Amino acid sequence: MIISRRAALLGAVAVSLCKPALAQDASWPSQPQHVFVGFPAGSSPDLLARIVTEPLAEKLGQPIVIENKPGAGGVIGVQQMLNAQDQKNTFATTINGPLTTAPRLTPNLGYDVAKDIAPVALIATSPLVLVVAADFPADDLAGFVAAAGKEPEALAYGSVGKGSGAHLTAELFSDRAGVEMLHIPFTSYAEVTTAIIGHEIDCGFMAPSAAMQYAEVGKLKILGITSEKPFAQAPGVPVMAGQAGLPDDFRAELWNAFLAPASTDPVVITTLNTEINAILADATVQQRLLDMGWQAAGGSPEDLKQRIAEDTAVWGAVLDRIDAKN
Amino acid sequence: MKRDIPDLAGGVLLAAIGLFVTFYAVGHYEIGSLRRMGPGFFPAFLGGVLAALGVMIALPALGRQGEAIRIAWKECLAVLAALLVFAAGLNQVGLVLVTLASVLIATLAAPDCRIGWRIALAVIVTILSVAVFSFGLKMTVPLWPGR
Amino acid sequence: MSGWDGFLHGLSLAAQPDVLIYCVFGVLLGTFVGVLPGIGAMATISLLLPITYYLSPEAALVMLAGVYYGSQYGGAVASILLRLPGTPQSAVTTLDGYPLAQQGRAGVALFTSMISSFSGSMIGIFVLIVLSGALARAAIAFGAAEYAAMMILGLVAASTVGAKHPAKGLAMVVLGLILGCVGTDVNSGVQRFTFGQTELMDGVNLVALAMGLFGVAEVIANIRVAERTGVPPRVALRELLPSRSELRRIPFPALRGASLGSFFGALPGTGSTISSFLAYAVERRVSRHPEQFGTGAIEGVAGPEAANNAAAISAFVPTLALGIPGDPIMALMLGALVIHGVQPGPLMLEARPDMFWGLIASFGIGNVLLLILNLPLIGIWVSMLRIPFRWLYPAILIFVCLGVYSVRGSSFDMFAVALIGLIGYALSFARFNPALLLLGFVLGPLIETNLRRALLIARGDPMVFLQRPIAAAFMVVAAGLIVMSLVQVIRRQSNRAV
Repeated sequence: MIISRRAALLGAVAVSLCKPALAQDASWPSQPQHVFVGFPAGSSPDLLARIVTEPLAEKLGQPIVIENKPGAGGVIGVQQMLNAQDQKNTFATTINGPLTTAPRLTPNLGYDVAKDIAPVALIATSPLVLVVAADFPADDLAGFVAAAGKEPEALAYGSVGKGSGAHLTAELFSDRAGVEMLHIPFTSYAEVTTAIIGHEIDCGFMAPSAAMQYAEVGKLKILGITSEKPFAQAPGVPVMAGQAGLPDDFRAELWNAFLAPASTDPVVITTLNTEINAILADATVQQRLLDMGWQAAGGSPEDLKQRIAEDTAVWGAVLDRIDAKN
Repeated sequence: MKRDIPDLAGGVLLAAIGLFVTFYAVGHYEIGSLRRMGPGFFPAFLGGVLAALGVMIALPALGRQGEAIRIAWKECLAVLAALLVFAAGLNQVGLVLVTLASVLIATLAAPDCRIGWRIALAVIVTILSVAVFSFGLKMTVPLWPGR
Repeated sequence: MSGWDGFLHGLSLAAQPDVLIYCVFGVLLGTFVGVLPGIGAMATISLLLPITYYLSPEAALVMLAGVYYGSQYGGAVASILLRLPGTPQSAVTTLDGYPLAQQGRAGVALFTSMISSFSGSMIGIFVLIVLSGALARAAIAFGAAEYAAMMILGLVAASTVGAKHPAKGLAMVVLGLILGCVGTDVNSGVQRFTFGQTELMDGVNLVALAMGLFGVAEVIANIRVAERTGVPPRVALRELLPSRSELRRIPFPALRGASLGSFFGALPGTGSTISSFLAYAVERRVSRHPEQFGTGAIEGVAGPEAANNAAAISAFVPTLALGIPGDPIMALMLGALVIHGVQPGPLMLEARPDMFWGLIASFGIGNVLLLILNLPLIGIWVSMLRIPFRWLYPAILIFVCLGVYSVRGSSFDMFAVALIGLIGYALSFARFNPALLLLGFVLGPLIETNLRRALLIARGDPMVFLQRPIAAAFMVVAAGLIVMSLVQVIRRQSNRAV
C-alpha cells in the first residue's frame, strides 16, 4: 500500500513538474506546517524537534504541528512524511538510523533515501561514551583494550538493540582496536547502566547524558568519548581517537536532521535551511540542546547529504562485519 | 452424536495455529543453540506447546454435549463494518464525517432501526468525540476532508 | 533527609494552592479518561506533555502523575460496568467485577474497588517512604536471570487463575506469548511474523489488543442480549453500598494485594501486571469459597485493585531513583521530568529532594481527593447502566477507535482492532479467558529477552537460574505452585473416584 500510494504521488509530482510555473510556492508558507517525528512525545528526538520548531514557527509566521508517529526506530515517521497528502507543508526530523542503516536493516522500507528525501539541515550531533563499572580494573582506554584483548569475548557489552548506535559503535570500536567483545542487547540505556552497575555485563557505549550522573556519584567510570573534540557535556573525558591503537580519525556520532520530501521546492528548502542555521546559532538554543546531550550542528543541505553518504558507508561496513561473524 | 462444538472447533483452531507458528518459525528463522538462542527458538517451542494444548482441548470435546453456537451475524457485521469505515476514513474525510457514517452503520444492528433516532445519536456522538478528543485532549486529527 | 521529614516537607510543597489545583485537575482528568474506553493514561499523558512546557515543574509532574493514578480508578469503573479494561491490570478486575455488575450489584463492586484502590495506594506510599532505598537496591540486584525467573513465576501463578479449565487457560497464555513474539526480535533484529508490515515492527499494539478482545467482542455479544434483559431497576442508595458482611471481606485481600503490589511494582518491567494477577491467584487460594471466583467474588476485586494501585505508586521508585522507567507510561513521566530539567537517577534525591518528596506527597493528597470525588460518583456510574445499550455502543466503538489512534496516530492499529475484536468474539464461544491472553502477551517478550540475555551472559550455562539466590527463590516458589496444583487435581480426582 505504501509503495503504490507513493508511486501515485511521484506521478502527481511529475505532472506538476511539467507545468512551467511553480509560482504558487511564492506564497509559502500559507498554512500550518506539519513536522513528523518517528518517536513518542517526551523522547529525546521529540524534545529536540520541539526545541527547533518552536522558534521556527515564529520565524515562518505559521504554527508547526508536531506529529509523533513512533515506530520501527524512527522509520515510520519518515514513511508518514512521504505518505502525507499535503507534500508542500510536510516535513520530518529524524535520527540517523532511518537514513543510514534502515535500508540495510528494515525490509519493505518503502522509500529510497537518495531519491525520495531532500535533506534540509543537520540539527545536532551526539557522541557516545565508553562506560565501565567503578571497580573495573583499568582506568584508561589502553588498559581497557588490554583487558578486552585477553581472549575473544572476555568482556560483554550492552547495547540498546541490534543495529542501534550503541551496538554499531561498539563493533566499530572492536574492529579498529582489534578486540572481540560479546554483544548483549538491551532496550534502553537505563537498563544497560543498571546491568553494568550490577556487574551483569562489563561495559557499554551510551549517550553522555545517560552516564554522567552515575559517574559523578562514583558508580560508573567513563573511559573515553567518540567525538573528534572534547564534549562540553562530558568535561574531562578524553577523546578516543588516536589512543590505544585507535586511528586518529576514529569518530562515531549519532545525529538528528531536518528533512523534506524530495518534491519540495528548492526555494523552500533554502529558506528552511537558513532559518534553522540561524536558530542553531542562538546561544540559548545551543544550551538547551547541550542540556539534553546534543551538540548544535547546522550546515548546508549538501553537508547533510554528504554526512548521510559517509555514515551509510561506515555503518554499512560495520554491518558487513557483524553479518560475517554470525 | 454428542459433540461439544465450541471446544472442538476452538481446540482444532488453536492446534492449527500452533502448528503453523512452529513450521513458519522453523522455516523462516534461525533456531540457534541454548547459549545463543536464535529468533526462531521461542516461537517454534511455543507453537508446539499450543498445538499440544489444542489437541488436549479438542479430544475430550468429542465425547460430550456442548452448548450450541449462536452467532449474532447482523451485530457482528454491523460492528465490523463501522470499525473498518472509521479506520479507513479518519484520515481521508476527517473526524466529523467519519463518525457520522460509522454511527449510522453501527446502529443498523440496533433493535430500534428508525432513521430519525439513528441520526440523532450520530450527531450526539460526533459532537462528543470532537469535543473530547479534538478540543479537550488536543489530539492532532483532521476534522474535515483535506486537513 | 529521612523519609518522614522528606514526606512532611513534600506535603507542605504539594499543598500549595497553585500545585494543588493541578493535582485536582490531573486526578479528575485521569478518572475521566480512565472511564472512557480506549483512551488511557498513556495517550492522555503524551497528549498533555507539550502543554506542560508552560507550567512549573512541580505543577506539571503532579498533574501528570494525577492523570496516571486517577486513570487507575477510572479504569476499574469501565472494567466493572462495561467489561472494557484498558490495561492488563484492570482485565483482572473484569473477572469478578463484571459478574457483580450483571447481578445488579455494580455499586458494591465499585465501592469495593475504590476502597481497595485507596488503601492500596496509601500502603504503597507508606512502603515507599519507609523502604524507597531498599527497593531501589533490590531493583539493581535484579538481573536477567531474576527477571526471567520472576516472569515464569507470574505465568505459573496466572495459569492457576483459570484453574477451572487448566488447558484452556494455558492455551490462552501461550497464544498471548506467541502474539508477543510479533515484531523486531531484540537480540537478532529479525522481523518475526510481521508479514512485511512496517507497522508490526514494534509488535501488536497493546491497547488495540485489549480493546479488541474485550471491548469490541463484548459489544457484538451484547447488542441483542442487553435489549432482552432490559434496563436494571432503580436501586436505593443503601443497596449501592456493601453490607456489613461484605465489608468484612475487603480489608485482608486489600492488605495482601497492596503488599504484593508494593514489592512487584518497584521492579521495572511488568511489576504491576504480575502483582494484580498474583493477588487474584492468592485470594483464590486462601479463600474458603474458591468456586465463587469468576462469578462475582468481592475478594477478586479487592485484592487485584489494591495490588495495582500500590504498584502504580511503587513504580515511581525505579523511575525516580534509578532513571529506569518500568513501563511506557513511566517512560513518558521520565521524559516529562527531563523536559523540566530534572534528571531522574541516583542524584535526584540529593539534587532535587523538593521535587521527589513533593511528588510523593501529592500522591497522598491526590488519592484522598480521588476517594472523596469518586464515592459520590458511584450512584452516577450505576445509573449509567440504566442507559439503554443501543445508545451506548456506537459511542463505545468510536471512542475505542479514537483511543487506539491516540496511542501513536496509526490507522493500521484501528484496522487491527476490528480483526482482534472478531477473534475475541470467536474466543468467547468456547469460554476462553482473554485476560490470560493479555497477560501472556505482556510477559512474552520480557520472558524471552531475559531468558536469552541470562543465558548469553552466563555463556550458555542454564545453572545460572539456580546459582543466583533471588532467581532460585522464584523458581522454587513456581515449582511449589505447580506441585500444589497437581496435588489438588489428584485429590479432586480421587474424591470423585470415591
